[in-house]
Amino acid sequence: MEILAVRDLSFTYPTGSEPTLHHLSFSVEAGDYMVICGPTGSGKSTLLRMLKRELTPIGEQSGSVCYMGKPLSELDDMTSATQIGFVMQRPEQQIVTDKVWHELAFGLENMNLPQAAIRRRVSEMAAYFGIEKWFDMRVDELSGGQKQLLNLAAIMVMQPQLLILDEPTAQLDPIASADFLETVGRLNRETGVTVILVEHQLETVVPRCDKLMVMEKGGIRYYDNPRTVCEQLRDFPAMLEAMPAAVRLYNSFAPKDQCPLNVREGRRWVEEHFGNRVRAIPESPYTHSDKPALELKDVWFRYSREGRDILRGTDITVYEGEIFCILGGNGSGKSTTISNAAGLLKPYSGTIRVFGKKIQEYRNQSLYRDCLSLLPQDVQTVFLCNTVREELKDAGAAVEELPYDISYLLDQHPYDLSGGEQQMVALAKVLATKPRLLLLDEPTKGLDAYARRGITTILKRLQSEGMTIVAVTHDVEFAASLANRCALFFRGEVVSEDVPRTFFAENSYYTTAVNRMLRGHFDNAVTMEDAVELCRMNGGER
Amino acid sequence: MKAFADYNPISVFFCIMGVASVGMFCMDPLLLGLSLIGALALFLARNGRAGMKECLWYPLLFLITAIGNPLFNHKGVTVLFVLNDNPVTLESVYYGLAMGCMLVGTLLWFRSFSQIMTSDRLLYLFGAASPKLALILSMTMRYIPLFRAQAEKTNRSQKALGLYKEDNIPDRLKGGLRVFSVLVTWALENGVTTADSMTARGYGIGKRSQFAIFRFRRSDAVLLLLSLAFTALTFTGMGLGKVGFEFFPAVTPVKATPFGVLVYISYGALSLLPAILEISEALRWKSLQSAI
Repeated sequence: MEILAVRDLSFTYPTGSEPTLHHLSFSVEAGDYMVICGPTGSGKSTLLRMLKRELTPIGEQSGSVCYMGKPLSELDDMTSATQIGFVMQRPEQQIVTDKVWHELAFGLENMNLPQAAIRRRVSEMAAYFGIEKWFDMRVDELSGGQKQLLNLAAIMVMQPQLLILDEPTAQLDPIASADFLETVGRLNRETGVTVILVEHQLETVVPRCDKLMVMEKGGIRYYDNPRTVCEQLRDFPAMLEAMPAAVRLYNSFAPKDQCPLNVREGRRWVEEHFGNRVRAIPESPYTHSDKPALELKDVWFRYSREGRDILRGTDITVYEGEIFCILGGNGSGKSTTISNAAGLLKPYSGTIRVFGKKIQEYRNQSLYRDCLSLLPQDVQTVFLCNTVREELKDAGAAVEELPYDISYLLDQHPYDLSGGEQQMVALAKVLATKPRLLLLDEPTKGLDAYARRGITTILKRLQSEGMTIVAVTHDVEFAASLANRCALFFRGEVVSEDVPRTFFAENSYYTTAVNRMLRGHFDNAVTMEDAVELCRMNGGER
Repeated sequence: MKAFADYNPISVFFCIMGVASVGMFCMDPLLLGLSLIGALALFLARNGRAGMKECLWYPLLFLITAIGNPLFNHKGVTVLFVLNDNPVTLESVYYGLAMGCMLVGTLLWFRSFSQIMTSDRLLYLFGAASPKLALILSMTMRYIPLFRAQAEKTNRSQKALGLYKEDNIPDRLKGGLRVFSVLVTWALENGVTTADSMTARGYGIGKRSQFAIFRFRRSDAVLLLLSLAFTALTFTGMGLGKVGFEFFPAVTPVKATPFGVLVYISYGALSLLPAILEISEALRWKSLQSAI
């Protein structure tokens, strides 16, 4: 049965000259798990909002959207609000009330259900989602992942038939986002709810979905089952880059068999088509300058006197001119380390030196002038002005001097930019302080593959100009393609440290998808470039 | 059977407010004594040894009031002795003792009240009065920590970006002001998403119902009715002059009319009820626990 039918849908924002969506037509079967992907600005979010009447933006619209055979505009309020659920990107902002139980009940209160019915549905939902333990808690005590699960549960409690999710995991760490997507998958399998999901972390969702739509410039480029779509992506490199490792590898060579979608299929496919006469990429020894740019010696830190130690004797030395990535799970103390290194938090024991000088000896905020700068995790906190132009002027940054182009963004409000663009503007402000040591806290959070590649290129360029860069990240692919050295952080200290190829080749779980796929067949393939190179050396043709 | 604090907040509210208001407005020593005993019993039953410690300063307060009054209040006919040309009277000593009872008793009732009425219970109470107000309060309670966290994050980001040029107060104020002004923009932006999230979940399509995790069971109704009835009875007694007490110029004897006795008994029951409920639940739990 067709749950959703879109016919010849076009949409233009009042401020836009070009239509954001043009002449889209597609339908979605009830019970389908559908994934929409596409580069930034391809109209994904606008399309999603057109599917939910309450969120439809103001603008010029033609064509129709039908839910269960009825145009959206003809649905009664109750059906429209409850049958179509919508989860947004930012976990914080969607939460309305102060208590977990109240948030769960909010939608049902709006439906004017009696107490007993609300009580039953809320309890049932809490049990299904495993949120009984935090049922009585205040929402600000929850982690980001828990907040997003709460948002999902608060929608599902209204028993929608169609669930729309707009980049729900963009603000979550990898473990929380895997958890979230697993829950969405389970809801789809166990309750038959139709899912339409916009995601940029495609590694996990593409192999699982029933339909994959690729959008480009407001139109549909492909819409089919994921395998068929992935086999055609050869001529759409911008999108291919975001796809699972197996798909990228498949499309790097002349077509052989069916396209593998996940790690397991990819491994089988490589073993079938490539020998392993050459097993490893020759590694040239890594040398670094002997002058340390950042030194942490036996640093101990806790947030409050009675709290537990977050940093437990941390020792880190980063040398001038290198890119150093700190990886580690949630709560391992990565972000705390970088805040300590930036002088924003003070350790209760141990010393921190920046370019050989103790951090306390930088008086009068001189640490933050021509010396050290930090790009924070939430880049929105960087902005103080109403346009990008004012923002840059305020920071004293000249657009021409930047190693990348953001001149086309100058007249926009920083909050209206996409995640990747916000990151670029924030970085421009950070660079304006002319740092010699650049600290980055989760620089790829919420970015798609294209923006990620962009920032990697920029950081490498800054390094070639002599900058030292320290990045804290969850993103193993990013670290593998960027770092000179990587360190694994666990319970407040560094437990292993090496050049990325060795570092990731020695890990079996905390490593890139490419490495997990090729482990055992090749010895040290970590990035896609490594994999392609090794396959080519073993007889693959492009 | 449940502890007093586990009763529906509405019943708890009327019970404590009933007892405490009588204790506040009436100078009948018997009623004041009953109020104090009830308050003390409830507080100790709920807080145990820790409560005992906290209670230590209440006798001091009691004494100060009891001694302080005769020093400044010279009404009354029975002069005990003369201090600095001022008579100290027996009546004002009695009056001071009654005042001490009233003060300590009322303080203890409100102490227990604030312990029991956590923010979600208070919110529920407001909600019972006005559902709209309850939602607004709930949203505000959500918003304050969110805003505070964002303020902290922004301030740190800006510090590392060199917003603060010097280590002095005017500079810090200037920077703080800029951070605050951008937070207002952020809050508005944030509000748009929250509003979307509300309409997407059907807010404003019609009449709303209101959900509370607190149920109103038969036992809650009984407690509520008892509280209202006993409070009304006591105030009626006070209004009709069946209870009440004059300290000045000379103390009057306690009136022992049948209606007055009824008032004393019912007020005593109301005052002791919270402690009785609390203690009997604790005892029951002990015996259940020993059976596990």
